[in-house]
Amino acid sequence: MTVTEQQMLDLVGHRFPGGRYRIEHWENWLLTDCTGAEQLPDGLVHPIALFHVPILGSGTSITKLFELGHADGAGSVGLESYDWEYLEPLREDLEYRIEGAITSVERRTTDEGQVYDALAFTIELFDADDRVVARITNRWRFRRAKP
Amino acid sequence: MNVRVGDEVPPWTMPSVDPARMKTMAAILRDPYPVHWDRAANTRLGLDGRVINQGPLNLGYIVNMLHAWAGAGNVRRLTVSFGRPVLDGDHVTACGRVVALDEEHGERRATCEVRLDRDGETVVSGTAVVRLP
Repeated sequence: MTVTEQQMLDLVGHRFPGGRYRIEHWENWLLTDCTGAEQLPDGLVHPIALFHVPILGSGTSITKLFELGHADGAGSVGLESYDWEYLEPLREDLEYRIEGAITSVERRTTDEGQVYDALAFTIELFDADDRVVARITNRWRFRRAKP
Repeated sequence: MNVRVGDEVPPWTMPSVDPARMKTMAAILRDPYPVHWDRAANTRLGLDGRVINQGPLNLGYIVNMLHAWAGAGNVRRLTVSFGRPVLDGDHVTACGRVVALDEEHGERRATCEVRLDRDGETVVSGTAVVRLP
């Protein structure tokens, strides 16, 4: 195992650069279509936008998160849980300010002896009046190769 | 909308998870992870040449069920855990049941147990809070 538990614990508190994100109509249209749903009315953004919008809008990416977590190649990262809060529905063509950080890391071992790190990050979206409109905490599993 | 604790949310079904949609989703997410779009790569990983649906899409089927029931724009919170992966061609059904009714921020809200099932196996489970119209 090349990544120590301490290396992973040191990630707690790591802040993403922060930034802004505007969800355009074409993007929301395709996103909604991917779920198999009819398009939503009144410029409402499909709620699953709370996966990629916080990540990209906070100035990070799936690739960078995999690098931070020392992902060990394809198939080594899995989802554990999401906790997504919508204080207001998201809308197309509004700009959101977005910031967040890595909030916890825990090394665990399954009953089968597989070691993995559960890494959680929390990101908030703010509207033009600086009110929080959405908050997410995602927890991903980084599986470690057996020594 | 007349809702009681114990009510079932009408299920929402995706008859066959479509790998083409996973490719579009990967582009939207800027997700370079080949398990979602490269069957050859998955064969090398021992995944039987089928691609893995993105977690947000699995959750999306649950959201679609909630929208069909309570209307778009009314989801207030989603808290879910992921079990086994959903693969292309899978037939999945989102299900839910009302477990609590509350008033919060001047809204009438239902807390629902939600899940995504495949062939009798639950692959996503959790709770959703929904504003009732």
